[in-house]
Amino acid sequence: MPRLRISIAARLAASYGVLVMIAVSTLSGVFYAATVGVLERGIDRKIAAISAQLVASFDTQRLDELVTALTDELGDGADSDTEILLLLGPDGRVLAGNLEKWKRFDVPHGTLDTASAKRRGQRIMVRYIMSDLGDGIRLVVGRDMQEQQAIRELVRRAIAVGAVVALALVFGGAIFFRAQLERRIGEIRRTAHEIESGDLSRRMPVPGDDEFGRLAEDINHMLDRIEQLMNGVRHVSNSIAHDLRTPLTRIRSQLDDALRHAHDAAALRDAIATATTGIDDLIALFNKLLQIAETESGVRARNFAAVDLDAIAEDMVELYDASAEEQGVTLALTRRDGQPTQGDHDLLASALASLLDNSIKYAGRGARIEVGVEADADSVSVVVRDDGPGIPLAEIDRVTERFYRVDRSRSLPGNGLGLAIVAAIATFHDGRLELSDAAPGLLARLVVPRREAAASRAPATGSAHAPRAGWRPAEQPRPTQPAAPGGANSTGHGAPTLSRPVA
Amino acid sequence: MKCLVIEDDCSTAEYICNGLREAGHAVQLCQSGLEGQSCAVGEDWDVVILDRMLPGGIDGLSIVERMRELDKATPVVVVSALTAIDERVRGLRAGGDDYLSKPFAFSELMARIEALARRAARQPEHRWLRVADLVFDLQARRVTRSGSEIPLQPRELRLLEYLMRHEGQLVTRSMLLEGVWDCHFEPQTNVVNMQISRLRSKLDRGHAPPLIHTVRGAGYRFGPDA
Repeated sequence: MPRLRISIAARLAASYGVLVMIAVSTLSGVFYAATVGVLERGIDRKIAAISAQLVASFDTQRLDELVTALTDELGDGADSDTEILLLLGPDGRVLAGNLEKWKRFDVPHGTLDTASAKRRGQRIMVRYIMSDLGDGIRLVVGRDMQEQQAIRELVRRAIAVGAVVALALVFGGAIFFRAQLERRIGEIRRTAHEIESGDLSRRMPVPGDDEFGRLAEDINHMLDRIEQLMNGVRHVSNSIAHDLRTPLTRIRSQLDDALRHAHDAAALRDAIATATTGIDDLIALFNKLLQIAETESGVRARNFAAVDLDAIAEDMVELYDASAEEQGVTLALTRRDGQPTQGDHDLLASALASLLDNSIKYAGRGARIEVGVEADADSVSVVVRDDGPGIPLAEIDRVTERFYRVDRSRSLPGNGLGLAIVAAIATFHDGRLELSDAAPGLLARLVVPRREAAASRAPATGSAHAPRAGWRPAEQPRPTQPAAPGGANSTGHGAPTLSRPVA
Repeated sequence: MKCLVIEDDCSTAEYICNGLREAGHAVQLCQSGLEGQSCAVGEDWDVVILDRMLPGGIDGLSIVERMRELDKATPVVVVSALTAIDERVRGLRAGGDDYLSKPFAFSELMARIEALARRAARQPEHRWLRVADLVFDLQARRVTRSGSEIPLQPRELRLLEYLMRHEGQLVTRSMLLEGVWDCHFEPQTNVVNMQISRLRSKLDRGHAPPLIHTVRGAGYRFGPDA
């Protein structure tokens, strides 16, 4: 067993072995006491009883009668193989009895003792009581223990064999146990090494619903989240690289053109001013893309706090009312029913701003825009309804793609990001953006689930495993990849997706 | 004003320092976190402009935190390339008074610095705000010009109050969005322009001189003089 000391499996197995050994020893001890011990105590009691009986009879009899009694006792045939009786004279000679010689005299009166003696030429162990009968005469009542010794030997051997077998089983079991643990942990470690060396799509095998299965599941959830974030980061960089190249090229060519063709300071100044405006627009675009990418990918921390959608709706309607007025559009907040929920105030406000922006821009002069906040049992929604031309049904499922613009709106200023931002923000809140035909006009409904304060720290898995559909037109699946204008799809430019479903 | 600029990027630092000097302020520049920290806590400044990410082991936020620990109330504008909203919140929580994300226009920075300096030297609360013949009764939330009342919606009142409190200063669109509508993002269309022109038409109708002046490419200035 290599690395025995540091292996937790070995340590567990060893402590389990020690426990088993303690149990086996206890069991053996009890068994030994209950067999051999009980037998020996029975013999002791018997010796004491016979001795007491003979001593008592000596009080009333004379010595020769005692000798007769002894001879009778020995001759009765009962226990004659094991029984030992001796009457010793003051000089230590055997007066009567079934041993030829007795050597131990220094034993106190009436106590049990064990000694060796010779009987018919054989050395035997004797358990006996020696009683002093007065005048130097002693009585020895005892028993040959040979048989008991044999039994004791048998029991001991049985226990020893049992212990060896138990030890072997424990040792074998420990090795097996350790191998099992090693195998299960080994799988996890191997997978971890593969992931470490770059294959982030690998997942722990989940063998069952035991501790290791659950550990593997937890690790898998963590890996899902990490992979999702990694994809998010990759997605952010890809989109930025792609989407900013076009406007940068435009600014660069404007400046280059000015450098080569402008002949006076005024023309250069104009070119610089144009370029500065272009760069400012670019920065705004950049911030929006970053916001979409951050919210879509879940890279942004979900710092949810209590939000009041009524207040957000009021703020935004009051922010946009002057613009609406200027465009000849009526803007009204018609319904306030916002139940408190948890969310990101700034993101929700900017989502509503984008919706208002969209409606004011496309609904047209004379249109009416109604904003309402509605709530049901488990969600709160902000509804923006206009009676403008709406979005053609064929295009309604594409307008949330980045840079997608409805044909007839291309002449209007805009960058095609507004609804994409709203959809991303909805997804970020585990909600959705529903666009439908208000007949006439567009009905946009931003739905976010109602969260209790306690659930504000929604587990990351909630967003990680939520379907990535940012919004849903009735019964239509969302196209999985936003079309990248101008190609460059090979850069992996697209919505971040989970690489595998989560079990 | 005595301004301390802590910024490691040479061209950004030059841009800020030149602008401040042109506006007539004294400027000292520190280009590392350590130097910046000793300057910021060692001397008295009217305003500190600092970058968040600095070389030298000490970042911008820890400088602000250190200043606040030492009870230095100098207004601090944090300038950073970290734009996410939670980064802004972190910057303000650390003790910054304002947060500006890079890249920015110098006029935006200057406007915010002036607003902060004004706030640091704020006068006790008055019941009235008065600019030329325009009077804002803060308790009754009523506005009169030359004695005649101008009816305004609640949000227009807030916008006007913000402008009057920053009289004579450049006020940028994003300052108004933050201060009046609690809006920490850039809406797509120019909603602030629309709000301002509506307010302007209400204030200036039949009165002279005009009070709200547009500063091209930067923002607005409120006051009787252009």
